Amino acid sequence: MIPVEHYIALSAVLFVIGAIGFLVRRNIVLMLLGIEIMLNAVNLALVAFNRMRPEAHTGQMLSFFLIAAEAAELSIGLALILAFYRLKKTVRIDDANLLRH
Amino acid sequence: MHLLASLFPNDRFGLLGLIIALPLLGAIVNGIWGRRLGRQAVTAMALTVMGLAFSAALVTFLHLREVAHEAGHGSHVRLAWTAWEWFHTAGGRSAHNIPIDLRFSVDQLSGIMMLVITGIGFLIHLYSSSYMADDASFSRFFAYLNLFVTSMLILVLGDNLVVLFIGWEGVGLCSYLLIGFWFGKLENAAAGRKAFIANRIGDFGLIIGMFLIAQYTGALDWDGIARNAQQLLAPSAAARVHLWPVGGGVYQGFWSFLQPAHPLTISAATAASLALFLGCTGKSAQLPLYVWLPDAMAGPTPVSALIHAATMVTAGVYLICRLNFVFVLSPFAMTVIAVVGALTALFAATIALVQNDVKKVLAYSTVSQLGFMFLGVGVGAFTAGFFHVFTHAFFKACLFLGAGSVIHSMHAHIHDDVASQDMRNMGGLKKYMPVTFATFAVSTLAIIGTPLTSGFFSKDEILFKAFTSPAVHPFAEKLAQRGLGVWKQPTWIGPTLYVIGVIAATMTAFYMCRALFLTFFGEFKGWEIGEAKHDHAHGHDDHGHGHDDHGHHGPAPAPHESPWQMTLPLVVLAFGALFGGWLNAAPFHFEPLGEWLEPVFERSVKLGVEVVGGEEHAHHLMWPLAGGGIAAFAVGSAIAYWMYIAQKGEPAKKIAESNKALHQLLLDKWRVDEFYGATVLGVTEATAETCAAVDQGIVDGLLARATAATVAAGGFVLRAMHTGLFHVQGAAMVLGIAGFGWFFIAPHADVAVNELSGTYTVQAAPGIGYAYRWDADGDGKFDSDRFGDQRVLAVSVEQGKTKQVRLEVKNVFGLTGTTSVTVGTEAKKGATVVGLR
Repeated sequence: MIPVEHYIALSAVLFVIGAIGFLVRRNIVLMLLGIEIMLNAVNLALVAFNRMRPEAHTGQMLSFFLIAAEAAELSIGLALILAFYRLKKTVRIDDANLLRH
Repeated sequence: MHLLASLFPNDRFGLLGLIIALPLLGAIVNGIWGRRLGRQAVTAMALTVMGLAFSAALVTFLHLREVAHEAGHGSHVRLAWTAWEWFHTAGGRSAHNIPIDLRFSVDQLSGIMMLVITGIGFLIHLYSSSYMADDASFSRFFAYLNLFVTSMLILVLGDNLVVLFIGWEGVGLCSYLLIGFWFGKLENAAAGRKAFIANRIGDFGLIIGMFLIAQYTGALDWDGIARNAQQLLAPSAAARVHLWPVGGGVYQGFWSFLQPAHPLTISAATAASLALFLGCTGKSAQLPLYVWLPDAMAGPTPVSALIHAATMVTAGVYLICRLNFVFVLSPFAMTVIAVVGALTALFAATIALVQNDVKKVLAYSTVSQLGFMFLGVGVGAFTAGFFHVFTHAFFKACLFLGAGSVIHSMHAHIHDDVASQDMRNMGGLKKYMPVTFATFAVSTLAIIGTPLTSGFFSKDEILFKAFTSPAVHPFAEKLAQRGLGVWKQPTWIGPTLYVIGVIAATMTAFYMCRALFLTFFGEFKGWEIGEAKHDHAHGHDDHGHGHDDHGHHGPAPAPHESPWQMTLPLVVLAFGALFGGWLNAAPFHFEPLGEWLEPVFERSVKLGVEVVGGEEHAHHLMWPLAGGGIAAFAVGSAIAYWMYIAQKGEPAKKIAESNKALHQLLLDKWRVDEFYGATVLGVTEATAETCAAVDQGIVDGLLARATAATVAAGGFVLRAMHTGLFHVQGAAMVLGIAGFGWFFIAPHADVAVNELSGTYTVQAAPGIGYAYRWDADGDGKFDSDRFGDQRVLAVSVEQGKTKQVRLEVKNVFGLTGTTSVTVGTEAKKGATVVGLR
């Protein structure tokens, strides 16, 4: 059986990949993907931790909720990207500076 | 009448509500829809409600007469109606429950006021429908006028001081609105404000008087106050009103030099009476608050007639008559009222001698006549004072309306507000305006006290009573038995008041005849002015060439008589002015009004008014004293005739020339306004400017601007971080999250020490998954190798010694942190440690 620590390590690696992608990418769509990777890292960690308390399913339950929230978040995010694209004819994050002082 | 009695029992006399509601309805309809209704509908509405209100008042009065008749001679009857129970207040020295209801009542006194208000009110509404016909704000005028009548009726019919106060403020408001009716001109708006502020000072007094009465009598309705009025005279020192030290305190320490040997106190009756009288001086234009009334003539003339001559300004006299049982308890206050009244009568008369504006003459004449009324009530001649209210309402309303008629016709001729009121431009108008002339002349005869007219009877009665009946303390003997002295009116005051009254009456005769002669006799002097104005108007009025309807281009049209809506009220009022006196013709022992009002004043007059030398002796003085009034009439009018008819105004000019300074002083109204401007207004303005400086310097500068500058500086720094670059912000977010993460990962070993009567407890701060181990005995080694969940440690320390306690914390990540704390207090040097361990 694969020990829990391996899952946690994988989750941490995924989270860092997602975070780096979120920070260095200029394309909003790809930044959104970074966010998704981070969220899935969290999901993986939740499910893995659930193995430490097999009698309870709280970790799995929580990851289901997270998946639903992710879907909602993604749809809103995509809608925002579309709206932004219509406004600026680009999806580069540096052009989103209307509220800049 | 039977139907009326069955419909409205005496204590649920709902007709009173109707009398008040009708003018209110007119005010609402004309106020809201007046502009859309058009002039005819507005006129119809206003006149209908006033006519119906007068009819209802008449029916009520007749019914009241019947009820009074049934109740027997000399009984005080009252028809009352409670609209609703408003609120209760607990208060007074005996903690009474004071009900304050919206309750109206009519008795012998208010019945007459009610008739005067609705009757003369109706006539003046009729007059206004023509006088104001060309005004742009026709409907607004009638809305205000109706609202005024409502307020005045509430004032008069209110059954307690609070309801009276509603009306009192209401008439003040309407007066303000109507004085400033033509607010486009700055002076008019200023005159309105002046009236309002002067009245405000008086209202302050009225409120204080109200509080005092509620405090001492535990009631605010007329019956309750009358029942408990003697409480106002409670002689014990604690029950008196302490003037110094203020409120009965004691000045101590540094301030003890202010403490007098004996506290300065007055009886509550005196305090309440003087406070109420302050209210009266405001509303009824007495010294020192009279200054607003002459300026109030800025309003339309019917307003001057209704509000500033016939009704509102007599509210003060009405209040004193209403609360006569309070005022007679204080001979000092009564004397003050009489003296102020007499002085006002004289003072205003001197100003009226030289004024050229016809309305100003009438205004000062009103102030002067109001002074006579206060002189009357001040000497306890309530009937006489109130009778003068009644007769004055007729002749002064008629004079004002007559002046309005003249101004109306002059204005059509001159087209100038100031010049059309100047008597020097008039003259000879009796030829052009016969009805106005006749009524004006009759009213002048009445006001100057021509024998057998109304003014003669009312004024003579006042002068007679002023001479013969000083105010006395009702319980002087009883208090003297207990060794308490009371203030006694000096004997010289009565005759002095009489002499002042006669002099003022002489002046009245002179200035009223002067006004009559200048306006209606001699040659019309307005031709030149009219012509000049007319030519001037042609310059920028070219289309005027076309209309030859007037038949002539050169001189302006001749003055003309006013339409019937204006002359009919004049005739009715002149009739009243001529014959109204016979309601109370004391010299002829024919006094229906006196008998009618007797139940209202009987008790007070018995208590507080003494007749020098007894009734018999006074009776013999009646005709001789009336001689003074008749002489005043004869001398004053004769001088005026000689000056202005026989010599055509030459002597007046000569006197003015030879006494230039005095003449100018009188023309400037003794410069009282300037005096007030320098003192009261100067101080107020200085205070206001100081406050403004503090506000602009400290509040605005230090508090507001300094705060704003701090925030702006902070904003300037923070703004640098808002680059708008998404990645910078994202990185900041990640840094923040990392910081939080570190906070949770690092262990925090914090302790708090509590002491409770010698025992100490050390408490470690909680944290998620924290485990603790302690070094409680201070030996440098932890008590246990294992971490436990003991979060609170009790430590015993010897008195005067200290102990070092250490704590180690381990969190879920296996990281540890330590801290140490010193428990206990060190003994102070030299201090002995007492007590057991």
